[in-house]
Amino acid sequence: MNFDPLNAVLIGVVLLLAVGFYGLLITRNLIKIVLVLQVLVKAVVIALVLAGKDSGNLGLGQSIAATVIVADTVVAVVALALAVQVRIRIGTLDLSKISSLRG
Amino acid sequence: MTEYLYYLLLGLGAAFCAYRAMISKHLLPSTLYLACVSALASVTLYLLGAQEVAVIELSVGAGLVTVLLVYVLSVVGDDNLDPTSIIPKPLAFVLVATISILVGWMAFPLITTPSTSNEVMLAQVLWKHRALDVWVQVALIFSGVLGVLGLLSEKEHKIETQNESIPVAAELKKESHV
Amino acid sequence: MAAILIGFVIGIPWLGALILWRTNDENPRLQHTLAVAFSIAAGFSSLALIFFSSAQTAVDIPMGAFFGSLTFTPDGLAVSLTAIACVIGSLAVVFSVDYMKGEAQLSRYYTFVLLFIGAMAGLVLSGSLLFMFFFWEITALCSYALISFYNDDPKAVAGGIKALIITQVGGVGLLAGALITYSTLGTYQVSDLLESAGTIPANVLAFIAFGFLIAAAAKSAQFPFHTWLPDAMEAPTPISALIHAATMVNAGVYLLARFYPAFVQVPGWALSVTIVGLVSALITAFMALTATDLKRALAYSTVSQLGYMVYAIGVGGFFASQFHLLSHAVFKALLFLAAGAVIHAAGTRDMRRMGALGKQMPFVRNVFVLGALALAGLPILSGFWSKELILEVGLADGPIWAYVGMLLGAGMTAFYTLRITWLVFFGEARESLHVHDAGFAMKVSLGLLAAGTLSTWLLAGSFSGLFHATLPFHSIHELSTLELTEEIFFAPATYIALTVVCLGLGIFWMVRKQAAARKEAQFDILSRESFGFDWLNRQVTSITFKFASVLQETQTGKLNWNVVGILGALLVVLVFLLWSA
Repeated sequence: MNFDPLNAVLIGVVLLLAVGFYGLLITRNLIKIVLVLQVLVKAVVIALVLAGKDSGNLGLGQSIAATVIVADTVVAVVALALAVQVRIRIGTLDLSKISSLRG
Repeated sequence: MTEYLYYLLLGLGAAFCAYRAMISKHLLPSTLYLACVSALASVTLYLLGAQEVAVIELSVGAGLVTVLLVYVLSVVGDDNLDPTSIIPKPLAFVLVATISILVGWMAFPLITTPSTSNEVMLAQVLWKHRALDVWVQVALIFSGVLGVLGLLSEKEHKIETQNESIPVAAELKKESHV
Repeated sequence: MAAILIGFVIGIPWLGALILWRTNDENPRLQHTLAVAFSIAAGFSSLALIFFSSAQTAVDIPMGAFFGSLTFTPDGLAVSLTAIACVIGSLAVVFSVDYMKGEAQLSRYYTFVLLFIGAMAGLVLSGSLLFMFFFWEITALCSYALISFYNDDPKAVAGGIKALIITQVGGVGLLAGALITYSTLGTYQVSDLLESAGTIPANVLAFIAFGFLIAAAAKSAQFPFHTWLPDAMEAPTPISALIHAATMVNAGVYLLARFYPAFVQVPGWALSVTIVGLVSALITAFMALTATDLKRALAYSTVSQLGYMVYAIGVGGFFASQFHLLSHAVFKALLFLAAGAVIHAAGTRDMRRMGALGKQMPFVRNVFVLGALALAGLPILSGFWSKELILEVGLADGPIWAYVGMLLGAGMTAFYTLRITWLVFFGEARESLHVHDAGFAMKVSLGLLAAGTLSTWLLAGSFSGLFHATLPFHSIHELSTLELTEEIFFAPATYIALTVVCLGLGIFWMVRKQAAARKEAQFDILSRESFGFDWLNRQVTSITFKFASVLQETQTGKLNWNVVGILGALLVVLVFLLWSA
């Protein structure tokens, strides 16, 4: 067992990813999907900073992590606004009832 | 060794909060658990030496997104609907477990390279190396804001003409059953 | 000063586009006035820019170390193409004042026209591959939007989408070339690529060269991508003139001309360029022989003439190709706008229904004949000098079979040009169409272009001087106009070509009586279908559609199942990575 502290961070990242993926698979509430996506992004942000630290290039890792946070926040905001619209127009947030994605 | 334990505790705590956020029946507690995840992630980032991103994460992730979620919940009301999932849970579990194990297999153990002496600061990376895409990000934020404003203003418009929107909703429901 | 002017030629049209976007369609007078004012201002700035041309980078905006700088270089190639785009573009706008009178949604029309002109100026002035790609895509977007301007006509929409898809294929080639350049040289600057092309490994350079060739062929509607330009004829006629003469299709030739010094060392590249030019010139000249739609016939001739330019670059005649680009831009804009005046008046594009229109619209007839003679390559009009120059270079430096093919093309050009002119303006009237001569704004732009057709060849000397002074990588000899005319007059190639041209004219003169009444033969149908290339396009789309409808079955519309798909793909990737590690 390698007790380099960075490995512990990695454990956390993998666990967060797993929870996020599992949540995306089983959640049917539109708002909760946004919430779960946030969890996934936290994992990604930590992973990016970790990679930066690990390769001795923390500045670059941080800058990309910041970009990810920005992009993700915009995604969350727009997705929530859409969820509000869906709730108002269709009357439900249940994903299986809003299946107009069907091509 | 103690550092290792700190990180491990933070990671496990974040994962636990994330799990609670996911399985919670109501959306409000979920939101609060998400804020906890964000806070714990932020502490991890701080300990890793990424102070700037830690601050952004704390203010945006734990602050802004939580506020937004609470606001949205106040608009749509807490549905507390979380019916059984469409995907069979064993399938979901197996899929996620396999992926996690494979990712772990590939990533562990980290072999840390010593920090190079010519490390560049965050601000320099952002403004000297990546100037163009920082500007694109600014544009992205603005377009996001504009999009949200458009969507919300449409909402007010729709509330006035709610009667019209009902047939549309009924139609959509009909379609979804077909 | 150059920096300010560059800002003007890109900024003025784009500012105009922004303002016109916000104008109200209730007030067409204001819209016409604004569009004309902005485009003419851009035209004058572009002419002024010619006097400030240099090989030095004039504008350098740092965009961070990862992206390089946003640079603009006003060298001879760039300023001449900018002038073509802005001046002919502004003449097309002036023409639109009459042509688009009473049309709805002028705001959308003028917005995209001005955006188009500005983007074309940016494309040729840009010294950075990344931003070249950016402007390149804007021109693709604008051409799509303008070809589909009549968006209630399904043919127009289909034509626009065809243009968009095919030029996107080319865009991918350009982007790939730019990214490969960055990954080997670590820079997006055009000048760096030209300077250190020799240091790039041969196979990598070949990838870049052929990526750019695909981009150029798709943009300039060259073989095998030539099918989009004729279908783009559903656009309003000033737009056709804009696309054919001022913007869009010149971009492909520009790209080849710009990077010729870097790519000429790639084995097979120059030959491929020659063949692409030759095949396009011949195939479309064949199609033009039997076309019955006035605008389609002109469109085929554009592809054919662009084939001449591409061929010229392939055989090393850089100056000849750019000179022909200039002449072609002027006389083809003239032909298109004159054709637009005819179509506007007659209300049909079918040449079989026209005939003897010359008596009713003498002004349009006169300028059209002038343009047609230039297209056919008769002395002393601009088209003559540039085409002879191309053929001369082709005879001297190119393979002889290609030269013979191009000579044949010249004969066919003469044939179909005379055919078009005859069918529209002369002969006997086949239907009693009541037409009126062109309006004032139409006459202004037609008159200016006719003057240009007569006189642009006088600029040849200063044109070559400009190239010689500002293009360090192309090694162009300076020639005065006098030397050039002497050279052409004493070259045997000129007389061979003139004989062939006269032959083409003579053959049509003998068959002119049958020209209008001919029945469609198998050959006509074949040529209308681009010799099977339209069929190929349709096959590709139908296969794509079939494939998509099969894949559609996997779309349940349930987000959770989509996520299962994504995670499954991730799993496959992970297993693959572990497997190969």
